[in-house]
Amino acid sequence: MAIRKACVIGAGVMGSGIAAQIANAGIPVLLLDIVPKEGNDRSAIARGAIDKLLKADPAPLMSRAAARLITPGNTEDDLDQLGDVDWIVEAVIERLDIKQALYQKLEGKRQQGSILSSNTSTIPLSTLMQGLPESIQADFCITHFFNPPRYMRLLEIVGGPKTRPEVLRDIADFGDRMLGKCIVRAKDTPGFVGNRIGVFWMQAAVTAALDLGLTIEEADAIMGRPIGAPKTGLFALLDLVGLDLMPHVDKSMAGLLQPDDPYMKIRRDWPLLQKMIADGYTGRKGKGGFYRLNTAGGGKVKESIDLKTGAYAPSDRARLDSADAAKGGLKVLVTHKDKGGQYAWKVLSGLLAYAASLVPEIADDVVAIDQGMKSGYNWKRGPFEMIDQMGAAWFAEKLTAENLPVPAFLETAARAGGFYKVEGGQIHHLKPDGSYTPLLRPTGVLLLSDIKLGSKPIMRNGSASLWDIGDGVACLEFHSKMNALDPDSLALVKQAVDHVAKKMRALVIHNEGENFSVGANIGLALFAANIAMWPMIDDMIATGQSAYKAVKFAPFPVVGAPSGMALGGGCEILLHCAAIQAHAETYMGLVEVGVGLIPGWGGCKEMLLRWQPGARDPKGPMPPVAQAFEAISLAKIAKSAHEAKELRFLRADDAVTMNRDRLLYDAKQKALKLLEAGYQPPAPQELRLPGPTGRVALNLAVEGFALQGKALPHDVTVSDALAEVLSGGKTDFTETVTEDQISKLEKKAFMSLLRTGPTLARMEHMLTTGKPLRN
Amino acid sequence: MPAYKAPLREIRFVLNELLEAEKLPELVPDFADATGDTVEAILEEAGKFCEEVLQPLNHPGDEEGCHFDNGTVTTPKGFREAYATFIEGGWTSLPCDPAYGGQGLPKLINFAVEEMICSANLSFGMYPGLSNGNYNAIHAHGSDEQKALYLPKLVDGSWTGTMCLTEPHCGTDLGLCKTRAEANPDGSYRLYGTKIFISAGEHDFTENIIHLVLARLPDAPAGIRGISLFVCPKFIPDADGKPGTRNPVVCGSIEKKMGIKASSTCVMNFDGAQAWLVGKPHKGMSAMFTMMNTARLAVGMQGLGIAEAAYQGAVTYARDRLQMRALTGAKFPEKPADPIIVHPDVRRMLLTMRSITEGCRALAYWIGYHLDLSQHHPDIEKRQESDDLVALMTPIVKAFLTDHGFHAANLGVQVYGGHGYIREWGMEQLVRDARITQIYEGTNGIQALDLVGRKLPTGTGRLARRFFHPVADYIEQTSEKPEMAEYVLPLAKAFAKLQQATAWIAQAGLANPNEAGAAATDYQRLFALTALGFMWCRMVEIALARKDDDRDGFYAAKVQSARFYMARILPETNSLFTILMAGSDSLMAMPAESF
Repeated sequence: MAIRKACVIGAGVMGSGIAAQIANAGIPVLLLDIVPKEGNDRSAIARGAIDKLLKADPAPLMSRAAARLITPGNTEDDLDQLGDVDWIVEAVIERLDIKQALYQKLEGKRQQGSILSSNTSTIPLSTLMQGLPESIQADFCITHFFNPPRYMRLLEIVGGPKTRPEVLRDIADFGDRMLGKCIVRAKDTPGFVGNRIGVFWMQAAVTAALDLGLTIEEADAIMGRPIGAPKTGLFALLDLVGLDLMPHVDKSMAGLLQPDDPYMKIRRDWPLLQKMIADGYTGRKGKGGFYRLNTAGGGKVKESIDLKTGAYAPSDRARLDSADAAKGGLKVLVTHKDKGGQYAWKVLSGLLAYAASLVPEIADDVVAIDQGMKSGYNWKRGPFEMIDQMGAAWFAEKLTAENLPVPAFLETAARAGGFYKVEGGQIHHLKPDGSYTPLLRPTGVLLLSDIKLGSKPIMRNGSASLWDIGDGVACLEFHSKMNALDPDSLALVKQAVDHVAKKMRALVIHNEGENFSVGANIGLALFAANIAMWPMIDDMIATGQSAYKAVKFAPFPVVGAPSGMALGGGCEILLHCAAIQAHAETYMGLVEVGVGLIPGWGGCKEMLLRWQPGARDPKGPMPPVAQAFEAISLAKIAKSAHEAKELRFLRADDAVTMNRDRLLYDAKQKALKLLEAGYQPPAPQELRLPGPTGRVALNLAVEGFALQGKALPHDVTVSDALAEVLSGGKTDFTETVTEDQISKLEKKAFMSLLRTGPTLARMEHMLTTGKPLRN
Repeated sequence: MPAYKAPLREIRFVLNELLEAEKLPELVPDFADATGDTVEAILEEAGKFCEEVLQPLNHPGDEEGCHFDNGTVTTPKGFREAYATFIEGGWTSLPCDPAYGGQGLPKLINFAVEEMICSANLSFGMYPGLSNGNYNAIHAHGSDEQKALYLPKLVDGSWTGTMCLTEPHCGTDLGLCKTRAEANPDGSYRLYGTKIFISAGEHDFTENIIHLVLARLPDAPAGIRGISLFVCPKFIPDADGKPGTRNPVVCGSIEKKMGIKASSTCVMNFDGAQAWLVGKPHKGMSAMFTMMNTARLAVGMQGLGIAEAAYQGAVTYARDRLQMRALTGAKFPEKPADPIIVHPDVRRMLLTMRSITEGCRALAYWIGYHLDLSQHHPDIEKRQESDDLVALMTPIVKAFLTDHGFHAANLGVQVYGGHGYIREWGMEQLVRDARITQIYEGTNGIQALDLVGRKLPTGTGRLARRFFHPVADYIEQTSEKPEMAEYVLPLAKAFAKLQQATAWIAQAGLANPNEAGAAATDYQRLFALTALGFMWCRMVEIALARKDDDRDGFYAAKVQSARFYMARILPETNSLFTILMAGSDSLMAMPAESF
């Protein structure tokens, strides 16, 4: 059954966030909550939640259009609207009686065969369904989202004994394709997958930090990047999620787990935490947490708590050799002699053995658990991948040597040679029975990482590679640091186009990095500028322009498939693609003015083309110039693929993929479709631009802003350079300007800005602080 | 014994014609008093003092050396009196803050005076030189009380100062420092430990000596982040600020060494000596570095001073010494033989000494000029720009000028032939005296690492910009002038090599730090030679413009020196470039045990 309309009941943070993500998928959704005790608006709670969605940062909604798909209502007046709803998500307070009463109330209102799910994290499905009619049980499952639902990729799905298989199949399919989630099928056990292991991790890490006498900075320095967790580490993470959540979660886990569960041994009373909560130190939402910002005396001092005394003192950076040594791998970390190394071992030895003891109790296989931890807790590696990195046999031996229990599954893995192996270019994972089974991706999922296991790149340099992804389609992958574009990246763009023209049929530009590309490597450009290597920089601009031009006019379709940030030069290459298949979480923008520059690789030119008047746009030479000027001079960044369409970084017919894992497949299909339709490269265009009069008009506006203090002194210089390019230089609207002429103007303006001190200062500041300099 | 004549014409040329220092009083209100007349009078007087008082003591001071007797040090005959005359002349107060009795004159002027002192008597220069470093550190980091107590005495020279850094097991790597500080109830500390190589640690010039000491507090973090700076006077000043109780900081012995024998190089034992913290706990290294950068420039001036003295000695001898005939036939048939100055190889040596020395002077004074701007320019951005340039060029000035000082001294000996090797001629002393300048205040290898590892990456090349942009702009503007082609084209070539080498080091060094380390010394020299090429272009441009008003032939000689530099010195950049681009492999491939 396709889900065409949904309803979320409970307009709290989770409920409204889930509704937002459903709307982001283009699906209309009812958001219901109870009728408030006061006021005339009986749907005020849901309505208020939508208002909050529009204001929240990071934004739960991908566009304002999505907001319009959410209809507020209340559970007393609006249940009649459920007749055409295919999926109802319950996200109300974690109370069994309230939930069960609601489920009963929905009977007769909801469509027959519609799916009913709960977002509960603490009440087992078996308990929820106790005493409820079979008709509910058959349609019911748990859909457990992580906060915030738009950005956290994990969706745990739990079925009961009576749940119809189609329910689980349909909801998994919808969650995967439409909501873009990583689906993990979990068993009906406490904490399901993510929290069962995640809560154990946090508890073990707190306990070990107390036992070993680490400062919170030291604990965070180890429990972050070194073990592959987000850099917030442990205590900073607790501050973020709220300290008061800890006792709740602990109580719920302890109430549900068997007395002999290892978790019961590591949990303990922690008077400091209770005192902190009682004093209002509940984390970032409260007066502060383990860290706090002391603003007494007008200053801003980051302070941290002493775990022994509970006193705050200025936070001191941890100095642990082990944290640096961890770059050499987990084994180096856990065998390091310092207390950081001891700490890592103490936590990971317990945690990873625990995880190994939970298959198949909480999930069928190691893949589900690893994916759960990666997509639910943003770990770089799941527990079984961590064990494999150290070596399963080595890990088992070390546990034995220290008289720690070795779970049977770990012993099996130690004998077999790990939880995963690659055979014939294919990942296999170990089952508890000792057999390996291939890791099969669903149809529509194509991962570059899988392709890499089974093949060698067609060509490669330090910054980019070209892969054969089948059916005559090649994939150009950037892989420099943060995918910043440098001369090597550009050289491979050029070579890739040449290669595909001769030997293949189409090209996709895609990578699996966190960001598609953050733009040109400005460190390189800045250094070259500082040592006055002007010809080298001139050459970098020219090379970029010609590489992107080659992409645009290639005799075959080039499909860009970005995810994450595509800024500056990374945005520009996409502007030159024949078509885009964008991940919904794509953030495009031409942000060069932030470093005192303007787009130099065709970004100005392409934005002028994008804003050429269509049927509904105002006519004349000025509107496209003004629109492009606004987007570039304000360094606008689209916060989603949908917003990128509004800003015309994407065309109306560019496509959006919600699930990142499906992006490459979709892009490849798009390329093949373009081929089928008889792809022809675009013809170079000529533009009518306003020339100096246009430039003056734009400058007047900027100077107006400058006088009001809204534009900075150097903004005036940068904007003028941009205005000169966009207005076409010395042309006027009786003449036409070619694309190449605009490119020349871009290069000239870029070089002139690069020779100004304030631009160099902006670049330096961005590189040192990551923030724009306001000069 | 080579005579020394203060090269005032050369100094004036750089100060007034190249740097236009007479405009400083307009540019920088703090220097309103540094008018042309004042500066001229200072230079004249300094020259006279160096020629008449310091230089005659140089050779006897070397012969006699310092005497050590049970904790006391006696300097060679005449030094004590010379120092008294020196402070009477107010020379120690020249660049110091008027708030503490200083004259507040530009450091640039002091650079010129330092050069002359070092030409005349390097050993003597050590004493006020160290005091000045000590003054700078207290001025920058001391408390108001400490400043009020010590600075006036350091300024008027009635007390001297030292910098106590090195210990038996730690020189370059000060993080290994063991000297410890224990807190007294009154907020002061007691120091325990031994410092070595302490210049001016003990002497008979003054009633008191103020030591600045690096030591570790009991709770100090390990390594370089756990070092604090202390001030520890030989005699603890009493309530009136007069030398009071003798502090248990005692000279254990003095070193027997290769050169600068009239400078006392002491082992200092701190046996519970009372001391006071300067600046913040554990921040001693950064306090030290503010002083060290100026000190490094001052060591560069020592190299320049030696080179000038060696050149002067060599020229005199080359004119006087009659041997053989010119290769093309007798030039002085009336004499029994021609003076050796007729020979190409002797000229090669003389012009090498001269053209590099003059280039070094221009470079060092240029940096001295910016040192003043970095501290006194009214515009904060200009201060920053100048500070960047000074930071960038400090290792180059220190290393290149001292390398040249030693090289020039060596060439000086060579010009003298066998007599150069004989002590009474004084030329070999210059070699011995010069040698230490390549080592102390950070060996020249460390300077090179500082340049490639710290200075180049700072601000992704921001410091480099302050040199590369003016040079690039200069080449762009000047390459059109036909009369400058002979000079600007070689500069442009060398500069292009420097740019390429810089870009290569930045990239290769990022991937493999050994690449930067392997290239560092050659790169530093390539940089310095190019910088001198730039200075020579600017100098010759002035000389060419003024060649019609050239009664003493000064400008004509400048042009000739410039031509020599461009034709026969600057091309060394080609081989340096080739060498450094060869990479680290041939250096690092050999296993340590195969050496």
